[in-house]
Amino acid sequence: MGATLSAPVRTRRPGSGDRWPLIFLAVMLLLLLAVPTLLGGTAPVFSVFNAAQSFAGLGLVALALGLTMIIGEFDLSVVGTYALGGMLAVKFGAENPFLGALIAVVGCALFGAIQGLAIAKLRVNSMAVTLAGYLVALGAAGTIGDNKSQPFPNFEFTGTFNAPIAGVLSLRSLITLVIFVIAGLLLLRTRAGRDMRAAGGGRRAARTAGVRVDLIVVVTFAASAGLSALGGTIQSYGVATATSNPGLFPLIFAVTACLLGGVALTGGQGTPVGIFAGALGLCFLSQLFTDLASPQFMVSLVTGALLVAVTLAATPALAQWRQRLIYQKDSTDSQTARRDS
Amino acid sequence: MSSVAEPPVLPATRRSIPWLRIFVVVFLVILLIGSITTDGFYSVANARAILNSAAIVGILAVGATAIVVAGQLFSLSLGVTVAVCAMLFLSLLGYGMVPAILGTLLFGFLIVGVQGYAVGRFGANPIIITIAAGALLEGAVTWVSGGVSVYPSAEASSYAWLAAPLFGIPFPVFVFIAVVILGELCLRGTVFGRQLYLMGGNPKAARAAALPISRLSFGAFAVAGIAAGIAGILLGAFNQSGTLTTTGTLTYDAIAAVLVGGSAVTGGRGSVLRSAGGAVLIAAIADMLLLRGFSPPIQMLVLGLVVACVVLLNQANRGGK
Amino acid sequence: MSQTQARLEVRAVSKSYGAARALGGVSLDVAPGEIHALLGHNGAGKSTLVKIVCGLVAPDSGEIFIDGESVDPRNPRHAQNLGIALVDQELSLVPTLTVRENLIMGVPKGHEAANDQLRGILDSLGLERVGLSDVVGHLPLGEQQLIEISRALSRNAKILILDEPTATLSDHEIERVFSAVRHMAADGRSIIYVSHRLGEILELCQRATIFRDGMCVGTRDVADLNRDSIVEMMLGHLPEVTKRSRGQMSGEAVVEIRGLTVPPRLANFDLDIAPGQIVGLAGQVGCGASDVLRAVGGLVPTAFGSVKIEGNDVRLRDPLRAARAGVFYTTSDRKADGLFLEQTTSHNLVATRLPRLSVLGVIRRVRERASVKRLLELTGISPERQRTLVGAFSGGNQQKVLVARSLEQRGARLLVLDEPTRGVDVGGRSDIHDLIRTAAAEGVSVLFSSTELDEVLELADTVITMFGGRVVASYESDGVSPAQILTDMTHGADHALDGRGAAA
Repeated sequence: MGATLSAPVRTRRPGSGDRWPLIFLAVMLLLLLAVPTLLGGTAPVFSVFNAAQSFAGLGLVALALGLTMIIGEFDLSVVGTYALGGMLAVKFGAENPFLGALIAVVGCALFGAIQGLAIAKLRVNSMAVTLAGYLVALGAAGTIGDNKSQPFPNFEFTGTFNAPIAGVLSLRSLITLVIFVIAGLLLLRTRAGRDMRAAGGGRRAARTAGVRVDLIVVVTFAASAGLSALGGTIQSYGVATATSNPGLFPLIFAVTACLLGGVALTGGQGTPVGIFAGALGLCFLSQLFTDLASPQFMVSLVTGALLVAVTLAATPALAQWRQRLIYQKDSTDSQTARRDS
Repeated sequence: MSSVAEPPVLPATRRSIPWLRIFVVVFLVILLIGSITTDGFYSVANARAILNSAAIVGILAVGATAIVVAGQLFSLSLGVTVAVCAMLFLSLLGYGMVPAILGTLLFGFLIVGVQGYAVGRFGANPIIITIAAGALLEGAVTWVSGGVSVYPSAEASSYAWLAAPLFGIPFPVFVFIAVVILGELCLRGTVFGRQLYLMGGNPKAARAAALPISRLSFGAFAVAGIAAGIAGILLGAFNQSGTLTTTGTLTYDAIAAVLVGGSAVTGGRGSVLRSAGGAVLIAAIADMLLLRGFSPPIQMLVLGLVVACVVLLNQANRGGK
Repeated sequence: MSQTQARLEVRAVSKSYGAARALGGVSLDVAPGEIHALLGHNGAGKSTLVKIVCGLVAPDSGEIFIDGESVDPRNPRHAQNLGIALVDQELSLVPTLTVRENLIMGVPKGHEAANDQLRGILDSLGLERVGLSDVVGHLPLGEQQLIEISRALSRNAKILILDEPTATLSDHEIERVFSAVRHMAADGRSIIYVSHRLGEILELCQRATIFRDGMCVGTRDVADLNRDSIVEMMLGHLPEVTKRSRGQMSGEAVVEIRGLTVPPRLANFDLDIAPGQIVGLAGQVGCGASDVLRAVGGLVPTAFGSVKIEGNDVRLRDPLRAARAGVFYTTSDRKADGLFLEQTTSHNLVATRLPRLSVLGVIRRVRERASVKRLLELTGISPERQRTLVGAFSGGNQQKVLVARSLEQRGARLLVLDEPTRGVDVGGRSDIHDLIRTAAAEGVSVLFSSTELDEVLELADTVITMFGGRVVASYESDGVSPAQILTDMTHGADHALDGRGAAA
């Protein structure tokens, strides 16, 4: 005598989870192009370009955070390494921007690896460790920058960096795009990526199956710090200034972009494609507000509201409620079927 | 498949690693040497300065303790809340001192409490909800205030006594002590407080034991909200004006105070007294650095390192998550 | 027995946990291509043997041979390399990965099976409609179970151990598992099938080894067995159950349960309980008893149906409402959602009655101390230990603290206890039973579940047997034999009823 009711079967192919984020991206792009033109505003191409430019820096922060979420952790320190990376790059990259970027990325990656070690080996809660890491990194950034913004004197490089390519792209945004592509391929096609998703989706099962979970944690946190440092570098080179304290905004952006992009807080879900869509879409939205000459607080309000909505939508309570409705309907259907038979 | 012959339950001894004790001793010795060699550290004026700067952070840390004990991690927007409460207090002074205080406290209670409700009722991640609420609050307040500082109106009741020294000690210090005592009594001696510890210790067991999870979560955050209100009142009175930028690193200082005080991040353990101690310790370290001429960012750096060390050692001592 | 060498041979394996002997000199063998059943009541030793063979636990003595060679599985990975695979209740698949990714997870680089190989394995198990790129978490449980089996196959497992593989599967899915198992046996693999469902054993297996009290009672050809003989071997001689006769509790039912359903594990459960009546649900893993208890306690978000206490509807899915109506739930897993291990004994004891010990929200220490003292007396735990952290106690004492929490509560109408004496020794068990009986004597209804049939017989006034999410039958405990209960628990009923449990 088997179980009494069978669960409703819904098989979904992977990657179908990226459907909604891509729709979000498309909608945002549409709005960005359509709304200002309708109101007799600025040239839409330039808006897209601008949005892509800010995506170049912030998108990498979202990717960084997203990778740690995919393995089932959470890196609060991405804001810190974003600021620290930008500061290091500006300080050391005046003569040679590549050297500056290298120092920023490698230095922060080492920092991230240390955090990863603490989380993996000492089994400390990742939020606590990365909160401390955030303070350290932000403090370091402020120290290097003497608590104020630091200019990047290599204007020639900044010019080339920002120069438009094909109207909407630039060297700045292309770098980030390429990185997203690499991340996507890595996560979905390689063994390492698969192990990462396993570590996030079923840590115990992955460990028993022989996946080197601890190594994955260390490497992912190193990558996260390195990527957000790169994002900070790109941003600093792009606007020729490094800020010592960007506030919480990059974190809010990154979390919203990841949640919109289909990355689950519980781990194991989400792809760089989704994160890309969420981040770029958010940049379009932000650019829309700029084009409409909305005051800054509007952006705060909308992003905050969006984040609340997305967070509540992702909670287990909602999923349980939906599941119960499905089962309840199934059961009454089969009950009526039995009664009628 | 349960087997009657269950492997014996080993007594849960807390592994006290000898080197932990050694490290704490070394740390304290360093602190002591540092303080002795710092000019002007051991003076009445300096002690007053330390207590004063510890007071506001400490009051906030009491609130943050309630959240951590309840197992809800941290609120990352307490600083913004304090700034908003300061602004609110100053604007309400026109109606009188008592309405201003009550109104501000009520605001803090509700605005942070509702975040706790969302966390408890829907299982939302507290860190994310609080940073979202912080963004919303900041946006809304900028909108309403037009981005300008808030000053008390001419008919405002006299509030100078809130910032003035009483028997030579700044008034906020008295408030800090009172809040610490009240907070400790509340967490230890009330049903609410006890249930917070239970919920933080084992959320699943708390639910199975029919503890009112949503209400407790609301309450823990609401306590933090009231603390933010009190801190906002004192800060507003001290600055005599309120803007959104006045709070700086307050949020992180408060959380750091809780962590340095030794409360477990995972919840169920910790106390208000320890967080108050953490606040004083942090203020002392910051003061020492300041006296030696180190800038605020270095203070933040050192703060982060201290927190990291304490958290790691605490965790290592307890033998894991 | 044919002359071919045994695939797996276990010789004189013993294992004790302290004073408790889990296995005492057990020997058995499994031939290649044989489907061999391990039978035995709860705690008889079969799971310990499985753990030893899979490298999860080291035996105290004895030897294991695979194809004649002596082996010593040190850990699960090592066991896997030796060709032993385990598929049990805890699915070790990652729900967010695809089928293919789960199948090759953890395999060293370069040794992964090719796609057509995997496809072939899936098809051979009847999983034609499952694609290699389907996300595992969206597949029905039965198919997930089969994918776990596929994984074992893709790693060339020679010995496959299936531990209660059908507990939560639908009939259709069970059929598929059966044909998969037969297929694998035909391929020459050895299967060890651990289950309490005798019907399945009789249908599927060639030989069966029956365990009792850590010993192997015998190995028989299944063809020579039937339901009754198996039950007799499993039971052996039960100790004389001194059943204290209680007067018939008659009266209006105070607890009325109708149509309680927890999809997909429990359907249409009905029950009436009178004040002071002790109802015991007897069943094995997956029978649905746990779900009944949790649902009545308000802890199952997907439950629906109706529960009435004293005529008032109690809203399901809300533990607070249940508690207010007088329902006190005690979990079967005291460490996970029962006790607060890092709190003191006294804090744990009063955790559910704090409001009553307080005035205007402030705890009155005097009342708290009195309450703690009383509860410590009840449980026989020394008052010196009231400040000890509960996590340091033995299992038996922990369980006593947990059960004591719901005693002597004014306003209690129904005590719900899931496995009230799990992991407790005989002495402790009888203490806890006394506590429960005292509560019942004061008019509180008791609903408990247990996988141990002597406990059920000893404690309950009314026994309700369950199997596969449905009630099999309802008996007065002094009018039923242990064999009958065991049969129900292991075989269900030929015609399962949407049963009704009658009030005494």
